[in-house]
Amino acid sequence: MIIPINFASSSNSDARLPPQLARIGTDEVVLIELQGALQVEGDRAGQQVGKLHFANDDEKPTLTIGHHLLEGKVVKLPKPLAVLYKRQASTPGALDDPSREDSGSDVGYDVVGVVKRKLIFSKRPIPIVSTPSVSSAVNGGESGGNASGNAKASLKWQR
Amino acid sequence: MTDIDLHFPQRNNSSTGCYCLLELPPELFAVMQDGTESNLTVKGRATDDAVLCTSEKTYNIRSVTLSNAFCVLTSPEGEESGQTVIRDSIQEIYELVPSISKLHRIDGILKDCEYDEGLEDDDDYRNDRPNKRARYTYSDIKMDVQASDCELDRGLREKHVLVVNGELRPISPSYLTTVLELLLTTLVSLSQSPDAASAVDLADALENDHEIRRDISMQVMSWFGELSSEAVKSAMKWKADIEAIVRQVGLGILRAHSEPLSQDELLKKWSDAVGDTFETKVSMAHLLGNYLSEPSASTASHRITYFPSSRLPLSPAERLSDLFLTRSRWKADDIAPFLADIAVDNKDRDKMLMKYARSTTDATGVTWYTAKGGVVS
Repeated sequence: MIIPINFASSSNSDARLPPQLARIGTDEVVLIELQGALQVEGDRAGQQVGKLHFANDDEKPTLTIGHHLLEGKVVKLPKPLAVLYKRQASTPGALDDPSREDSGSDVGYDVVGVVKRKLIFSKRPIPIVSTPSVSSAVNGGESGGNASGNAKASLKWQR
Repeated sequence: MTDIDLHFPQRNNSSTGCYCLLELPPELFAVMQDGTESNLTVKGRATDDAVLCTSEKTYNIRSVTLSNAFCVLTSPEGEESGQTVIRDSIQEIYELVPSISKLHRIDGILKDCEYDEGLEDDDDYRNDRPNKRARYTYSDIKMDVQASDCELDRGLREKHVLVVNGELRPISPSYLTTVLELLLTTLVSLSQSPDAASAVDLADALENDHEIRRDISMQVMSWFGELSSEAVKSAMKWKADIEAIVRQVGLGILRAHSEPLSQDELLKKWSDAVGDTFETKVSMAHLLGNYLSEPSASTASHRITYFPSSRLPLSPAERLSDLFLTRSRWKADDIAPFLADIAVDNKDRDKMLMKYARSTTDATGVTWYTAKGGVVS
């Protein structure tokens, strides 16, 4: 069995990450490391998770999730990481790659990007009272009928 | 100052589990960056441990679980809101560890496909025993063997696998020795220079005088030397690798003797086989890793036993255990040839020895290896 790993050509050049993020990863993809895991209550589809804030110097980004503020930093990875996307026959249109028929295999990986740096949030979250922009999404779930949906993202922090 | 919204994708779980992270060793990263490498594949049977093959190298893929989570962020697609979307959260990365290619499987697959002298008339053979033997082509092997293309091609060459009518057929060792001896004598009888012999003349001579098929002798020549790629076939020159031929002939003689034979006798037979012209190339060094040498009680000459490393187990633990069963202690120089084919390099070999053997240095400064207390496991 041979599973090909394709070097995806820049598929949709118009949809690029904001420059602050592209500077950390690539135009297509960026990695954020969280010490802990995201917990979501309710339907998460399309919901806002939080907000990344970049100060002018770019070096101390912060992340607000629910009532928590995380301070992060940009770290060089010990070894570059290739971000691969698994493409199966059941997910058509992931990439209109003509070589797909040639390979004769229904599973393959595309290299989305090769990332040399990551954004890491490893410090203990700081509780905050309110951040207006995020609270609407978070409170929406509690009030029930809000148009912004009913999901609630929070961070489960682990030491 | 910039704020960037993070969102979940519009469709639930549309991409969860689809992303994975692969840690790139520096040398692989370098070739990926300068664009010389664009042929990465994951290879193996469903039950194998997966390996990643570049066009030249093979890596074992090892999964490492992380306590932290990596969020994969990309730009939104279509209807999705926000500036970035969390596509996946990953708690595992794949590490790549350089590995020797797993070419040994070729032997197993092609075990019953050997090409021998008596079977040259392939059509008869086919009529007599239809469907008796499974047939394998190059692409069959490529699917099954966990090795990069370069390593696979080299492996097929080293294992002396012929391509006969599109099928892979390993040449039988005795037949190979015959063809090589004939090539050497024909080189001399036609007074051709070993550096630039006419390949066509040689193949003609072998076909007419010894009934050796042209395509067979051509392939054998390509294994033991270089065939120049000329536009006109008749002008094709063969630069013979005399040392490799002499070595192979020596191996053939050694292999034919299941009983130990004295070193002098072996060298004499060997010299006779390669002829006067190439006699000087004969040396026991060519056969390292294929024989055991014991001092003989009756004569001054050492007794040589055929003991090929290719027949030993592949896992380091088992191989060293086997070696120490054969001999309870080994000189460092003696054991090294028997580990060469399973170690990536000398450093890797020394690591194996350190792990599975005990070393002692005697008064004369010779390093000896012995089994590490009890059973090596």
